[in-house]
Amino acid sequence: MANINISCIAIIGKQNNPLYIKNFNPSHADLKYHYIAHTSCDVMEERAAMKAQDMYLGVLFSMEDLSVYGYMTNTKIKFIAVLTVHDVIIKDLDMKNIFRRIHAAYVNHASNPFYEIDSEKMIKSKKFEQEIDAIGRGRALEGGNRNSLPATAP
Amino acid sequence: MASNQAPVKLVNESAVEFLTTEMVEAMIRTIKDDAIRLGTDKDPSLGSPNDGTGGPKDYSEGDEAMEAVYYKLEMIGFRVGERLIEKISKDRMRFSDNLDVVKFVCKEVWMFLFKKQVDNLKTNHRGVYVLQDNSFRWFTRMAHDQSSAESVKKVTPYLWFPCGILRGILSNLGIASVVVAETSSLPACTFQIKIAKTA
Repeated sequence: MANINISCIAIIGKQNNPLYIKNFNPSHADLKYHYIAHTSCDVMEERAAMKAQDMYLGVLFSMEDLSVYGYMTNTKIKFIAVLTVHDVIIKDLDMKNIFRRIHAAYVNHASNPFYEIDSEKMIKSKKFEQEIDAIGRGRALEGGNRNSLPATAP
Repeated sequence: MASNQAPVKLVNESAVEFLTTEMVEAMIRTIKDDAIRLGTDKDPSLGSPNDGTGGPKDYSEGDEAMEAVYYKLEMIGFRVGERLIEKISKDRMRFSDNLDVVKFVCKEVWMFLFKKQVDNLKTNHRGVYVLQDNSFRWFTRMAHDQSSAESVKKVTPYLWFPCGILRGILSNLGIASVVVAETSSLPACTFQIKIAKTA
């Protein structure tokens, strides 16, 4: 997993309500990522109807220097990862791994009986935030030596 | 790349059985207690839960307290089902249609909960599915006389929790449904899933 710079991880619920948006790249405003997450909803629904089997939906679209990857679970929860692309080719396998980790973090959080699954409120949980933080900053949870730094402002 | 699979954790089956049977009893006990305390339980023939005869009472239909018990047990099952499907469907491909979902329930969910698959699945292809289990695991250790109407009535509340689980599973997959269960001869039972027609 050579040089993946995750700028933002967003999680969108079943009713297309935002559950969690985390910005790892201070050079873009939070609002921009909210906008990106919002536009991704439609693209994801379209893509999901086409690609009937896989949860990983691939690249949804790119704008300027950002490319947006999507993943939709069986329970209609959508994960979005916004990457700042340099000129590296991002492998599908790497992205699937990232999404698998996000999915695991989400399932762990959803298993909490005090979390209302359909409440439309944002996720507020320290443990969940720490896990997403570790994923976004490329800190390995399972060993290995990946240390991708968040993209710095040009 | 190192695998990040946590070791699979298992739960003792006896613990689950004790929990589910006691849960039903506790719900009935606490709701009848509340009803008596608040004076809303106007039917003296039901007797007090503490009259020492022990064991399940006769659960007549149309009793307000039993409706409250039904609601609570079903909602508990609903919430459990929602979380269960998040965990189980994590590594699975997306479902193609309702029939695929129901088949998944019959096989994987039943295997996960009851260590066996559903014995018979019938559908009218118009949104109604009937799942038949000839030996429902949570009934196998209940003492009963085979098909007496009485034991059938006594066993009904124990089906409300599994109904809730099924409804929760379907709901979190985006399928609105009504799940009813009935048993004509223990330990067999059938679950009927009615899926709402999408507009």
